[in-house]
Amino acid sequence: MNRMLAVLLAKDLRRARRNPLPWVINLIVPLVLTALIGLVFGGRSDGAALGRIRFAVVDEDNGLLGKVLRGGVTQGQGAQHLDPVFLDRAEALRQVNDNQLSAVLILPAHFTSDYLAGSNSLRLELIKNPAESIHPAVMEELLRVVVTAMNTVARVFHGAFAGWRQEIEGDRDYHHVARLIEDAGDRLKSAKAFINPPLVTYDLGDAGADAKAADGRDGSQQAAGAPKAAAPATKAARGATSGIFAYVLCGFAAMFLLFLANTAMTDLHREIRLRTFERYRTIRDDLGTFILGKVVFGTVMLLICAAIMLGGGGLMFGIHWRHPGVLAALILCYATFAATLFALLVALVPDERRANALSTVTGMLLGCAGGCAFPVRQLPAFLRDHVTPLLPTNWFVETARDLQFGAEPAAFGLTALKLLAAALVLGGVTAVLFRRRFAAGTRA
Amino acid sequence: MSLLRVEALAKSFGAIRAVDSVSFELPPGEIYGLLGPNGAGKTTTISMVSGLLTPDSGEVYVDGTAFRAGPQRAKSVMGVVPQDLALYEELSGRENLEFWGRMAGLGGREARTRATEVLEALALTERGQAAVKTYSGGMKRRINLGCALLHRPKLLLLDEPTVGIDPQAREKILEFIRALGAAGTAVLYTTHYLEEAESLCQRIGIIDHGRLLAEGTLPELQRGLGGDRVFVLEGDFKVATPDAWGGFSGRFRVIQKSERQLVVAAVGARDPADCLKELLNLPVRVENVTLKRPSLSDVFLQLTGRDLRE
Repeated sequence: MNRMLAVLLAKDLRRARRNPLPWVINLIVPLVLTALIGLVFGGRSDGAALGRIRFAVVDEDNGLLGKVLRGGVTQGQGAQHLDPVFLDRAEALRQVNDNQLSAVLILPAHFTSDYLAGSNSLRLELIKNPAESIHPAVMEELLRVVVTAMNTVARVFHGAFAGWRQEIEGDRDYHHVARLIEDAGDRLKSAKAFINPPLVTYDLGDAGADAKAADGRDGSQQAAGAPKAAAPATKAARGATSGIFAYVLCGFAAMFLLFLANTAMTDLHREIRLRTFERYRTIRDDLGTFILGKVVFGTVMLLICAAIMLGGGGLMFGIHWRHPGVLAALILCYATFAATLFALLVALVPDERRANALSTVTGMLLGCAGGCAFPVRQLPAFLRDHVTPLLPTNWFVETARDLQFGAEPAAFGLTALKLLAAALVLGGVTAVLFRRRFAAGTRA
Repeated sequence: MSLLRVEALAKSFGAIRAVDSVSFELPPGEIYGLLGPNGAGKTTTISMVSGLLTPDSGEVYVDGTAFRAGPQRAKSVMGVVPQDLALYEELSGRENLEFWGRMAGLGGREARTRATEVLEALALTERGQAAVKTYSGGMKRRINLGCALLHRPKLLLLDEPTVGIDPQAREKILEFIRALGAAGTAVLYTTHYLEEAESLCQRIGIIDHGRLLAEGTLPELQRGLGGDRVFVLEGDFKVATPDAWGGFSGRFRVIQKSERQLVVAAVGARDPADCLKELLNLPVRVENVTLKRPSLSDVFLQLTGRDLRE
């Protein structure tokens, strides 16, 4: 039987090599989609995926807050992610109209003095470049954080603002400044229980945080204030593995491996149509070998395609796969499942066209509902809570992402077993259906 | 001992009786033609013999053993050439031959050797390495035939192997099959071409509507018409009713009747001159009478009531 399987496999591989178009299409599409989505978010897989946001600050206030802001955005992490230019209003508006800037932040005149005076009608103005989508949105979110922080500071230190204003605008009395600092310390001491540990944290050290936050699984933990242990990954590895490309490519690979499995198993339909399957039946009595041969072919092709997709994708997008061996084993299990699934569809639907349509829809549904194309949190609640966890596509894609973004390789074992069990069940049903079809005496 | 013995084989598809109690046998070295129009039951019969279809009743014996008792053994004895081209078009002729040889149980080296021999026998050595999709119809038919021969089957089942090819290519295939028969291979050959059955087959079974109407050698079938000659009368037979001509149906068998033609055979051994005299005295205006040896077409016409080319 092994010899037969090897001959059948060699024949199918040779045919696939001579007619690679159906395979190539399904290989290129996920890479292109990954590239498109990745490039929308900056085209890099390291921490600076968004690139630096170029924006203008129009400081009509010319006061202390403007100076603080100027210092904040031009130093440290601010300088790493932000590229501010300080312009007058007219020049800033001209440049944003010329699409040279993502946004313009305007600090109106008397902003600092009005803030310290506790004015209720303070406004910061943000003009977003309508030709861009991501960077202006990020700027808006950043400004929201700044405003929230300023409001909080204003609430906590409101009583001391008059003193600070006097020191800033008038003669500097360092004894008075010392008293203000002491007073600020007392206020912070009383607020210590609320500040440390902070209610909301983020942890740059956890490579999995980005990805998990993306599908909403860790949001509740972070909000609950449980400090997370930093992953032991090095800085270089962290940058390489936390990229959006890896996250997206895992999903698209899972989905397009289904389509490739369909291509492989549709060949069974083709063999039936071209009567080669019938010829086989005139030579051999064990039809199972032929079907099994096709499943083996499908599995091997999926492994080759996954290697091209993930390996090639890794090279193209600079992804460092953290556990390639374990990932390959996981893909083997997933490929076996996918091949048996589409063999079952061939057995279920004798009509080739109908089977093709059904297979395509099945692949799309399993991919989308399994969290391959969209983050799971984007799915409707019922689907997300009751259907998605039951789908093998979800088992695979979640485990693959977990492997890439933090989980230890041992965690893949259960998923692999589940996928193999599903393949076994599907293979059994397929064998029964084919046997029944042949026993009925109709042409295959 | 027969290599193939078919006993009362029957198969229905719903209400349609596709094959109805068909029996025949085939000794080694004989080419047996199963002749019938499209839909007569030829392919269904061959499908049951080759194990593609399970008969409703009846039995198939291959090399002395019931097919169902050892299907794999029976399949290893026979080679089947399907009516449709069952080939991998992306592969070369040689690769196709080798693959089907391996499927039939040959080892890698043996399959390669046999593929070379078969390519040579089929006059395809030069194109052996080219993809089948680049072949002409006749070449594809030859490879289709060759794929069934790798394991040197003792019994060859050919289901209309010359459909859709030009006369020259057809003749090459027929020549090849003749050689196989001469070498001792038993060949079951289905066709709806009268000429092929006449020129190729030692025995012929005429099948229509699922029933084997007659079988035998060509002379035996001709004799079944009532002698070794038939009379073809030309004239106006539009309103003619042979049954009404006193005693005519007792002395002649009407093989075919149309508006312009009446084909009859004499019943029993009679002098052709007497027959001719009687036919010229019929109560219709006969313009011409031809005396000829009955063809397979006449036999078919007599048995089925219709022309095979209809």
